[in-house]
Amino acid sequence: MITKHSAIALSAALLGLGLLLSGPIRAELTALVGATVHPVSSEAIEHGVVLIEDGLILAVGADLEIPEQATIVDLDGLHLYPGFVHPGTQLGLTEISSVAGTVDTAEMGSINAAVRVEVAFNHDSELLPTSIAGGVLHAHVVPAGGLIRGTSAIMRLDGWSWEEMVVHSPAAMHMAFPPGAASDEDNEDLALINETLEQARHWHAAEQAAERGEAARPPRNDQLQALGPLLAGEVALAIHANGIDVIEAALDWAEQQQFEQLILVANADVQYAAERLAGSGTAVILRGVHSLPVRRWEPYDMAFVAAARLHDAGVQFAISDSGGGMDVANARNLPFHAGSAAAHGLARDAALKSVTLWPAEILGVGDRLGSIEPGKQASLFASTNDPLEPMTQIQHVWIDGVEYDLTRDRGRRLYERYRARTLQAR
Amino acid sequence: MRKTILALAVFFTLSLPATADWTPDIEAWNSPQPDQPAAVIVRNATVWTADEAGVLENVDLLVRNGRIAAIGEALDAPRGAVEIDAAGKHVTPGIIDAHSHAAILGGVNEGSRINTSDVRIRDVIDAESINIYRQLAGGVTTINLLHGSANAIGGQMAVIKMRWGADPAGLVFEAAPEGIKFALGENPKQSNWGAEEARYPQTRHGVEQVIRELFQQAADYRAAHENHPSGRAGRDRVPPRPNHQLAAVAEVVYGERDVHSHAYRADEMLALMRVAEAFDFTIQTFQHALEGYKIGPQMAAHGAGASVFIDWWAFKYEAIDGIGFNPALMHEAGVLTGLHSDNAELARRMNLEAAKAVRYGGVDPHDALKMITAFPAEQLGVGDRTGRLAAGLDADFVIWNGHPLSTYSAVEQTWVDGRRYFDREADQRMRAALAEERSELIALALASEEPAAENGETAANDDEFSPGRRTRTASFATHLTGYRASELDHDEYCLLHDH
Repeated sequence: MITKHSAIALSAALLGLGLLLSGPIRAELTALVGATVHPVSSEAIEHGVVLIEDGLILAVGADLEIPEQATIVDLDGLHLYPGFVHPGTQLGLTEISSVAGTVDTAEMGSINAAVRVEVAFNHDSELLPTSIAGGVLHAHVVPAGGLIRGTSAIMRLDGWSWEEMVVHSPAAMHMAFPPGAASDEDNEDLALINETLEQARHWHAAEQAAERGEAARPPRNDQLQALGPLLAGEVALAIHANGIDVIEAALDWAEQQQFEQLILVANADVQYAAERLAGSGTAVILRGVHSLPVRRWEPYDMAFVAAARLHDAGVQFAISDSGGGMDVANARNLPFHAGSAAAHGLARDAALKSVTLWPAEILGVGDRLGSIEPGKQASLFASTNDPLEPMTQIQHVWIDGVEYDLTRDRGRRLYERYRARTLQAR
Repeated sequence: MRKTILALAVFFTLSLPATADWTPDIEAWNSPQPDQPAAVIVRNATVWTADEAGVLENVDLLVRNGRIAAIGEALDAPRGAVEIDAAGKHVTPGIIDAHSHAAILGGVNEGSRINTSDVRIRDVIDAESINIYRQLAGGVTTINLLHGSANAIGGQMAVIKMRWGADPAGLVFEAAPEGIKFALGENPKQSNWGAEEARYPQTRHGVEQVIRELFQQAADYRAAHENHPSGRAGRDRVPPRPNHQLAAVAEVVYGERDVHSHAYRADEMLALMRVAEAFDFTIQTFQHALEGYKIGPQMAAHGAGASVFIDWWAFKYEAIDGIGFNPALMHEAGVLTGLHSDNAELARRMNLEAAKAVRYGGVDPHDALKMITAFPAEQLGVGDRTGRLAAGLDADFVIWNGHPLSTYSAVEQTWVDGRRYFDREADQRMRAALAEERSELIALALASEEPAAENGETAANDDEFSPGRRTRTASFATHLTGYRASELDHDEYCLLHDH
């Protein structure tokens, strides 16, 4: 059976093990009081209370009765927001991009369907505490090598090993649509993708026939086997395409292939396909608001307005950064991409959702992350003000109900050490 | 076609100054320089002076002949002054970017010798780089065009004002003192080049040695020229051989040319300051200076400024200790600290970089604004001309529709020398006109296209022609991309080397 192939079973087992390790050992009750609570899924609550039990949000409201045994945390004057969910990044896979030994972002070769990123997720990366200090508490970690690139995972950015940090895997099978296929129907890369998918369909048909005892088992092939959940519609295809001609060609192709769940990861040109995407119900991960216009003659704000164009057309979308390069170490700047979209036509509440609730929903964890609601994971932060404003400071972070030590951020450690030195020298 | 040409002709004839002998190419967004009104008055604004006057609410800003004439309550304006109602809006000085490569033709690096002090950016200014217009839309009015960081001693920089529509010479900020780019660390020692043949030096101590030796050679060179007898005595002796490299380095050693040195680590910055002190001059700024906070007191004592990325880090090993708190700490230590872009995209939102100085270390918002205005102006030696809003200074200012450090704010107008180079409303009108022109041009191009004629073949005699084959005209869009090779080259280069 396709649905029970071993990669999925292994992932599920690992996830189960992770839950056991981090599971409900304590029955702790915490009440965060005094702050303005911004649930994202509903209106802000002034002087709200968030009750947390065993890492989950138990209740949210203005006049909640606080149980006697609860630990009370007074957050008067601060604002509570759900942690940001990064919609696509190489966090955990790279440390210093110019030092090859620290980089595990892109496997070689064209067909890497059997690659799964979570096993290379460096849980002690220095980049993770810095991201957390910026309010980014979960991330969709994405592989980058080849045409069919393997599976991504939603990771909690704090933990003692990758196993217990996996929130959801596989989140999607990733594919880079070959740019050349936009103008050449005989494109060799696309032919290879088509051929691979066709082989995978045959391989799984043969495998099912073998299960039924009607045929001999086909030769083992990890790449073809790994494509099973995608072909069975159990896993989304995240198709990466930049440039409107490539985006259009990718959408044409995906329609022919009839994938059940499709996510388009694209640059600002995606705004030119907004009507079509709204019509087909395809979700979009926008690769960055802080980008130059794609063409010289386009208006200066071409990339700033892309999110607003998607929203106005009714497209389901999340705002990301470029996901690689300089943006990995600065995943903490994700909210400012959303802020700039809001400065250029996107409603402020939509901007906030585009980096919290919407990425969680698009990536299959909308029932656990992205808002402050009963039953969701208590991963949230307290800030001095609106967190889409760069002037705002984040003062407390809770991940699954446990307050995070923000001095783990390399920047804050160095700051405290050298501030003492600077004052001493004066 | 006739209509388009006529429209273009009318557009340029009407707006071209009679004296101009240089015309921008016919490309989108290019336009002649706007006029300079005799007087401009901006009414009822919140004015961030980036000066001792602080932030003034509900005041007027009066500009006469390109200079700020007065800032105050209910000012009288001359008859015929351009009136701007700025109630509810904020006015700041124009943004100064002390580290840019945004308007350079050809390559940014002369990546050959370890010392290329003889090459000059002012010879290769790209006056039509679309970056100029886009950065005006982000409130930038002055930028420092620097070479890349391939060489320990790079080339001579050019400070330009964003006078969109002016010719290359007209962009040059005439008041700016001469300066030169230096570079320390991984780039000049070729850590990430993958070069087949190594070039000396390959270590930080080698870089320091090269610079020290060049300083001595340049001092000797200057001395040899100065000691060459003048008049009758010198006539019969062969003068020292001219050397443009050493001549430029001698200007550095004699304090006639400011050093702006790319550097990341504390050790290399300290080393360069000590070499400069041995030759009795001061390093004007360190660029990037990610570890400046580790030696703030030493930098302040030497008198070096710092021009930094506020939060870029970890993209190479020498950037591992980069922290957002760096500007706050250096500012506290008394270092003249500014924020730079080094990136044509980032340059369009420097106000949000300044906002991060409030986030990381609690810098006062007005001081944070100075980090992108008054302080970089001072670093570039133009602090008595721009970077602040005070009577007598150039009328380089920005009108924002909200708090200038807020993510939700946008630039409404950008003025340089009392000329309105960016106006959001005019931009909206221009994009409508461009869209119309573009669709006309595309229609004309499509109408003139023969089917399958791209390879000089026609459908009739093409054996491989198949009627079912899909032909896309999408490549037409890429023909219209219109970026200059230099703009694209630099982006590619940056990824490999520069930052």
